[in-house]
Amino acid sequence: MNKIIIGEQIVKSFGEGKERHKVLDRVSVEINEGEFVAVMGPSGSGKTTLMFALSGMDRIDSGKVAFDGVKLSDLGEKELSDIRRTKMGFVFQQPTMLKNLNLLDNIILPTVRDNRKNTTAISEKARKLMKRVGIGDFEKRDITQVSGGQLQRAGICRALMNEPKILFGDEPTGALNSKSADEIMNILSEINEDDGTAIMLVTHDAKVAARAERILFMKDGIIVNETKTSKFARKNLENRVEKINLKMRELGI
Amino acid sequence: MYNRIIRNDMLKSKFITVITMIFVAAAAMLVSLAAILVVNLSGALDNLMTQAKTPHFMQMHSGEIDRERLVDFAEENRNVDEFQVVEFLNMDGAQITLGNNSLAHSVQDHGLSVQNKKFDYLLDLNGRIINVSDGEVYVPVTYMKDNTTKVGDVAVISGKEFIVAGFLRDSTMNSSLSSSKRFLVSNNDYAELLGHGEIEYLIEFRLKDYSLIGEFETMYASVGMEANGPTVTYALFKTMNAISDGMLIAVILLVSGLVVVIALMSIRFTLLAKIEDDYREIGVMKAIGLRLSDIKKIYLAKYALIAAIGSILGFILSIIFKGVLLENIRLFMGESENSSYGLLFGVLGILLVFLVIMTYVSSVLKRFRKISVVEAIRFGTSQEKRAHVNRLTLSRRKLLSTNVFLGVKDVLARKKLYVTSLVVLVISVFIIIVPQNLSNTISSKSFIQYMGIGHYDLHIQSNNPDQTDQIVNVIDSDHDVSKYVVMTTKTFKVKMNNESEENIKIELGDHSIFPIAYSEGRAPASEDELALSDINASEMGKKVGDMITLEIGGDEEDFTVTGIYSDVTNGGKTAKGVFHDNSTNSIWTIISVELSDKSLVSGKASMYADEFDFAKTSDIDEYVSQTFGSTISSIKTASYVSIAIALVITILVTLLFMKMLVAKDRYSIAVMKALGFTNMDIRVQYVSRSVFVLIIGVIVGTLLANTVGEMLARSIISSFGASTFNFTVDPLSAYLFSPLMMISAVLIATIIGTSSVEKIKISENIKE
Ligand SMILES: Nc1ncnc2c1ncn2[C@@H]1O[C@H](COP(=O)(O)OP(=O)(O)O)[C@@H](O)[C@H]1O
Ligand SMILES: [Mg+2]
Repeated sequence: MNKIIIGEQIVKSFGEGKERHKVLDRVSVEINEGEFVAVMGPSGSGKTTLMFALSGMDRIDSGKVAFDGVKLSDLGEKELSDIRRTKMGFVFQQPTMLKNLNLLDNIILPTVRDNRKNTTAISEKARKLMKRVGIGDFEKRDITQVSGGQLQRAGICRALMNEPKILFGDEPTGALNSKSADEIMNILSEINEDDGTAIMLVTHDAKVAARAERILFMKDGIIVNETKTSKFARKNLENRVEKINLKMRELGI
Repeated sequence: MYNRIIRNDMLKSKFITVITMIFVAAAAMLVSLAAILVVNLSGALDNLMTQAKTPHFMQMHSGEIDRERLVDFAEENRNVDEFQVVEFLNMDGAQITLGNNSLAHSVQDHGLSVQNKKFDYLLDLNGRIINVSDGEVYVPVTYMKDNTTKVGDVAVISGKEFIVAGFLRDSTMNSSLSSSKRFLVSNNDYAELLGHGEIEYLIEFRLKDYSLIGEFETMYASVGMEANGPTVTYALFKTMNAISDGMLIAVILLVSGLVVVIALMSIRFTLLAKIEDDYREIGVMKAIGLRLSDIKKIYLAKYALIAAIGSILGFILSIIFKGVLLENIRLFMGESENSSYGLLFGVLGILLVFLVIMTYVSSVLKRFRKISVVEAIRFGTSQEKRAHVNRLTLSRRKLLSTNVFLGVKDVLARKKLYVTSLVVLVISVFIIIVPQNLSNTISSKSFIQYMGIGHYDLHIQSNNPDQTDQIVNVIDSDHDVSKYVVMTTKTFKVKMNNESEENIKIELGDHSIFPIAYSEGRAPASEDELALSDINASEMGKKVGDMITLEIGGDEEDFTVTGIYSDVTNGGKTAKGVFHDNSTNSIWTIISVELSDKSLVSGKASMYADEFDFAKTSDIDEYVSQTFGSTISSIKTASYVSIAIALVITILVTLLFMKMLVAKDRYSIAVMKALGFTNMDIRVQYVSRSVFVLIIGVIVGTLLANTVGEMLARSIISSFGASTFNFTVDPLSAYLFSPLMMISAVLIATIIGTSSVEKIKISENIKE
């Protein structure tokens, strides 16, 4: 199986002088193509920092990150941007939408940067995605005129526009009620299964993590444990949630 | 606690605080300077005219005078306080050498005078009445200013040697706009040189009640007193003395007004940005019941501090710079008695600036009241601001690239914010283009036509009608002359509306050869037509098409006014006609000449000057450059200075705005970076914003410059006597180079101002 991401011995510190502390302490992760990985852990354990490191959004102090066979530390700001724009997708906890643009424009924004001529085709594709996630009627809406769940769906559409190899999600359901969260997770699972898009999801919600094939447990900048599940086992979500909770108690998370 | 909040806030935005302070300081300095100048100018001028006892009414006259009749007139007129006839011994410039410099090429009329006994005193540089000894000469102060001579030099006047004993202030002839200059010599020396020049008389009166000057003027003319020359009143002396410094004050006031506006704009921008930034916090404070007036107080205190420091700085600067600007006033008019009031008014001016700023800040802060708690907490931003640009969408855009589109869209979505920088850019364009057009206009060859002077190369003025034919014969047979015209000026009596009579000088001849510009109507073409100068027309209350009655050789004749024109010659009171008249002698004759080859002008000028030593030959370019040269060159300098100022303002303000925008928008920038936009992409978006605003600014600024600016320039120039003119625009410079300069300035500032885009880290701004 091809690895889409290989992270080896990643170290990342923040702060200056006495305040300086390691947030990632020699973390190694690998993600396969098409794999669905969840990262769990308490607040402040370094989950987001790990995601920023793996996606090339932040430089690391030492160690190595390779994406799709390319070492990220060898790349400049431009190439990193290019990779993020063309091969990765991002969904954040807060809907990171630009206030100036309506929903449709926000979705097509990263894609039309490179394909000015094909705006019509790109918009058409965006409309299809919007229909697929259930916000087909809202394309002209301002981002302040829709609910948080709808914004998050739009965020997913935006992330999927360039058919990324991997979708990063940092607590994408964190700000939603459980019904909306379930709906979002259904969409993500479907994308993973139908399109074969790899997903790396940061969460502290067992119900969310239960959808993943593999779960990494983090604590104080270290991956302390890892569990794997078969596709079949994932069908029984409630059972799996219980197992995850048990595991977390065991790890003291 | 307030102190701490303010200090932290100012430290966090050092650059912005400093720039705002600089603008406030500049505005305060200029306002204070203007106030100091106004007070000093009016004080010094009053002082000069009081000490010198400037005449209330002065009639220049060449030719015979009847002293007894004048004395009778003065004694009979109850309003006359004092009366004297002053002699002015006209000397050709070539007869005067000061140190190593000859005045041969000066266009001024130079003459010798003795100190007056009753009034119109010639003063030394300490304001005292000069007592001159034999062998000494006092020289007009203007020749000290242009370094023609210095105290102790040897002066040679008509072959007699003098020592330059000092310089004199002449309350009637100081100004470069006055065409005569008096040199002071002792009675003995004057008597010795009497035969070397022609005597002109200055018939001078001081009145008991100056407010009745109009009546006095009418009376003087209607009884047919000597009037062969210009008439000047106290008010006109005052204007002429004040004009050059007055213009300086006007320009300073104008610029200070603009700088105040710019200071207000930067404050507005900073505040709006700050409010947008702190929207959520302010909303939360409001929600938990904190008093808005407390928050307002913090901002008010901050700006009070900035404005106070800026004002004090501006005041100090104005005290430092006032010396330079007062130099001219001090030299020509001396100290003002109440110069300490100058500082007082300077402080008052600065207080005014301070108050304007604080009022403005408090009015911008009214927006606090509009902040909606619900919106602030739910969305973190105000909703109304970004409305109604939905038609412009990325999915339907055709022309623009994504980055340019985002830039333009941001400007349209946050108009209120960008209006601020637009105003500054419009002002900058305005102050680049108006002085430039003005300078172009007055230095253009055709401009003198607006001032009553035709488009010819030389003119030869003869005061003796008998000699005119001799000149005409020579000119007529000169092959280098392509055109010439003879104009004879005669004095006639004109019937005023109230049946009284006044003198009017009319220039007779063919006015179509060297046409001038008419502010209304056209040149007189037939025998019963007449054109009037602006001043004459307004004094007589005549418009184009009105009738006017002259008394010619004892008969009354009616004329139609066909045109009105501006005139700077002969005190601005002239008229033009084409009728023939033998009833009265001419006062002077002017032969205007155009040469076929312009390179011959100065050679011909000196040739005619030698050949007709009884007449005065002037090279028109020389005349214009000596009379208006200093004005033209100072306006040229002013136009370069304005370009520099405007560019500096543009760069500073753009830098300020860009830095603030980037700081404000860091969240959106981080989001775009996360989505794969490069630093370059984002900076292109900011450049698009600036350039988009700039393009609008250049268009609006240019339009305003050509309308409002032209009107403004017109009102400045009308103080010189030319009331109507249109801008002579150099299209290359106004419509190509100036916008290019602005674009370069804005680009440089935007590129520098957005460099911090690269420092914005995704991980620090998108926190989950
Ligand atoms: N830009 C930063 N500067 C300083 N410290 C940071 C920064 N970003 C994160 N940290 C610190 O790193 C640790 C891990 O943060 P993060 O990765 O966001 O945790 P998580 O996402 O697991 O809640 C926290 O202690 C946080 O305070
Ligand atoms: Mg996190």
